[in-house]
Amino acid sequence: MKKLNWQKLIAMLLISTFASLCLAGCGGGGPGGGSSAGPDPSAAAGAGVAPDESAAPDPGAAGPSSIVAYVGTTIFDSGLDPIKGAMSYGYPFTNAALLKVAPASTYGGDLAVAWTVSDDGLVYTFDLREGVRFSDGSALTAEDVVFTYETVRERQAENESADLTRLAAVRALGDYRVEFTLAEPFSPFLDTAAILGIAPSDAYDSETFDHYPIGAGPWRILQYDANQQIIAAANPYYYDKAPAIDRVTLVYMDNDAALAAARSGQLDVVMVSPNYATETVSGMRLLPLETMDVRLVSLPTQRSLERDGQATGNDVTADSHVRQALAIGIDRETIIQNAFNGVGRPATGFTGNLIWAGGLVYEDNRKAEAAALLESAGWIDEDGDGYREKDGVACEFDLLAAEDRYGLAAALAEDAAALGIKINPQAASWGDIAARMNSAGVVWGWGQYSPTVVRSLFDSRGAFSGGFDNVVGYTNPRVDELIDQALAQVSQEAAVAAWKQAQAIADQDYPYLYIVNIEHCYFVSDRLDISLDTQIPHPHGHGSPIICNMKDWTLK
Amino acid sequence: MFSRKLSQNHRQNPSRLGYSAGAAGFRRPDLPGHPLLNARQRVVLYTAIAGVYLLGIFLWGLLLRPEAYAVHYAHKFMPPGVTHLFGADFMGRDMLCRCVKGLANSLVIGLTAALISSGIGVILGVSAALTGGLYDKLVLLGVDCCMGLPHLVLLILISFMLGRGARGVMLGIALTHWPELTRLIRAEVLQLREALFTRAAAKMGKTGFQIAREHILPHIFPVYIVGLVLLFPHAIMHEAAITFLGFGLPAETPAIGVILSEAMGHLATGKWWLALFPGLMLAAAVILFDVIGENLKSLLNPISGNE
Repeated sequence: MKKLNWQKLIAMLLISTFASLCLAGCGGGGPGGGSSAGPDPSAAAGAGVAPDESAAPDPGAAGPSSIVAYVGTTIFDSGLDPIKGAMSYGYPFTNAALLKVAPASTYGGDLAVAWTVSDDGLVYTFDLREGVRFSDGSALTAEDVVFTYETVRERQAENESADLTRLAAVRALGDYRVEFTLAEPFSPFLDTAAILGIAPSDAYDSETFDHYPIGAGPWRILQYDANQQIIAAANPYYYDKAPAIDRVTLVYMDNDAALAAARSGQLDVVMVSPNYATETVSGMRLLPLETMDVRLVSLPTQRSLERDGQATGNDVTADSHVRQALAIGIDRETIIQNAFNGVGRPATGFTGNLIWAGGLVYEDNRKAEAAALLESAGWIDEDGDGYREKDGVACEFDLLAAEDRYGLAAALAEDAAALGIKINPQAASWGDIAARMNSAGVVWGWGQYSPTVVRSLFDSRGAFSGGFDNVVGYTNPRVDELIDQALAQVSQEAAVAAWKQAQAIADQDYPYLYIVNIEHCYFVSDRLDISLDTQIPHPHGHGSPIICNMKDWTLK
Repeated sequence: MFSRKLSQNHRQNPSRLGYSAGAAGFRRPDLPGHPLLNARQRVVLYTAIAGVYLLGIFLWGLLLRPEAYAVHYAHKFMPPGVTHLFGADFMGRDMLCRCVKGLANSLVIGLTAALISSGIGVILGVSAALTGGLYDKLVLLGVDCCMGLPHLVLLILISFMLGRGARGVMLGIALTHWPELTRLIRAEVLQLREALFTRAAAKMGKTGFQIAREHILPHIFPVYIVGLVLLFPHAIMHEAAITFLGFGLPAETPAIGVILSEAMGHLATGKWWLALFPGLMLAAAVILFDVIGENLKSLLNPISGNE
């Protein structure tokens, strides 16, 4: 009897240990939880033979040059249909847009070769490249551009990246010229032209395009297995130089599974979080790539007040001295070291690789100066607990961080404690954040080519709107005026100047605490050259941006 | 309560009881070479050890100051050693203190949830058995409904609806773990209701409530206690599970579920101590509760209590 009990006990101990290890080892794993990822990428990698060779006869022919890449899972989150806002980051994958972003973050022509803007800023005319064909072989003409823009405008609710609400009319002037008429001047219209991929008017099918879009980009989809893999091949009709690599398999897996797969030599490109930046993988090198993605903390600028049942404002961060003391007092280098293994660059505003970036540039880690600033504002540590108070109010606020940003929030809190400011980092879901974003600090990530982010952050008319715009309730009539000016400009230069001025003025009130310009880390196989010269600074969304210049990649 | 009396007798004078048991024809391991402690003493000892361990973790965790598991970036990923017995995590927090604090949090949640859940079980079980009729059927339907759904799904739904956090988890566990106990107690009471002494009490004019209080409750007390203790491991496991899945305690609270889900991302880089020790501690706590429960069962049961 007793003996049996002991056996039972030992068995239970073993089972529980095993179970808890399993729980830790593969919990949350998607279909590709295992190290070899559901569909076995090696099959596609090895001889370059795709499973559905017969199903998709391809003139591009699967040669020996194929790669397998893990570029995060965001590319699997939504379909690939450009009409529904897929791949809207200013670089072409399956569908090319009228414009595209050049490595210097300026716009260059893609399907358009030239464009003009009328003097009143209302009419945009694009001259299309002639002889461009879609991946099904049909010709791309002005009619397709008109179709794409009209469809998106009709179904705007399905597409949140291309905002065409100001588009009054679009018409074809012959086969290779398109004219857009806007209802009011809107200088960021060029951003829209760069993010909306053109779909063919004849072949468009809302159902199949989610997985098998037809476009004029350098790639076309051979096989799409939702949340497993996307196999892309070179588009044989691509107007420019054909990609040197015939076939790319993008696999879906977990971060840690991807690292394990890389170690066993199954992957050529692996996106990794900064947590893994200190790891090494034989046969691969770690590349931290430049981004325009900044992490910033919103600091409510108004005093606390309940508006429509939603708490807004925060009595501590409403004091601009607190906000300024944080901005100049924290040590961004140390925070980056602690939170990101040192991967990333300190940021005090939007990054210099954006032409419209114009925030303040200043030295940080000025602890003494920050302390003096706080003391002059009446924030003094009276009870000796290491944190300041003023009129009985503790210098303390909550900082909400979603997903993997908790580490940054904790590192910031650790550093701000030295200033006598108590920040309570809290891991939160986006639902929690939406409920509390107007009254607590939130870690945000912003990184896009379009300067409309300036309006999102500082326009007082967007404050407390329920969306993620101006959550701090920043109000400055002069800034609103400059934003309106920037939107209404005809010339790109004048618009950029107005955007810069708006940021420069708003940033003097420190409504946002910029911390870091993150870098996207990838392990890249030594046999693969990802053409660093033609990589554009990555926009927000760690993972897929590395494929921006995939057509220029070469195998050694 | 005759089992309690017997057990007291036993402890006071084991030889006399042994003798009488022998006289009644029971076989007894009273021969040369029998263990130092008899079965009852051993059971009491194990229960005491398990109890002391769990109570120790509980008190240690409650008294632990947050500084003990504070962020300490210089010790990032320090392997187990003298400074950190269980190693340190990605923010340099001491894993031993986090585990202890996490387990203590789990125990608080488990205790509250188990108390509420067993309370519901007793009230529904006794009332259903005594009332009978439609009410009984309704309670049984509720039990079947609750048991028909996977625990974890129901837990996630309830916890999410209540805004997660400690309150959501606690109520989630409390509201999903009553059916088994309800069923058990109902069956027990049905049996007791037919017993001669309850029928006699009824004939003597006692009300249903009086009978429940004076005759039924004392008899189901041992069942209740065992049920309560055995609810604990369930509650703790489920707390860890839904926290691991992200529907329970928030990531900044030390909790075994949080620790394990954080550890997941670092296993691929060889930080084994982040998952192993918390996993072992969780497993140990669950097993020890099971040991206590099983032992109590055998002690409180009138038949096995005398083996």
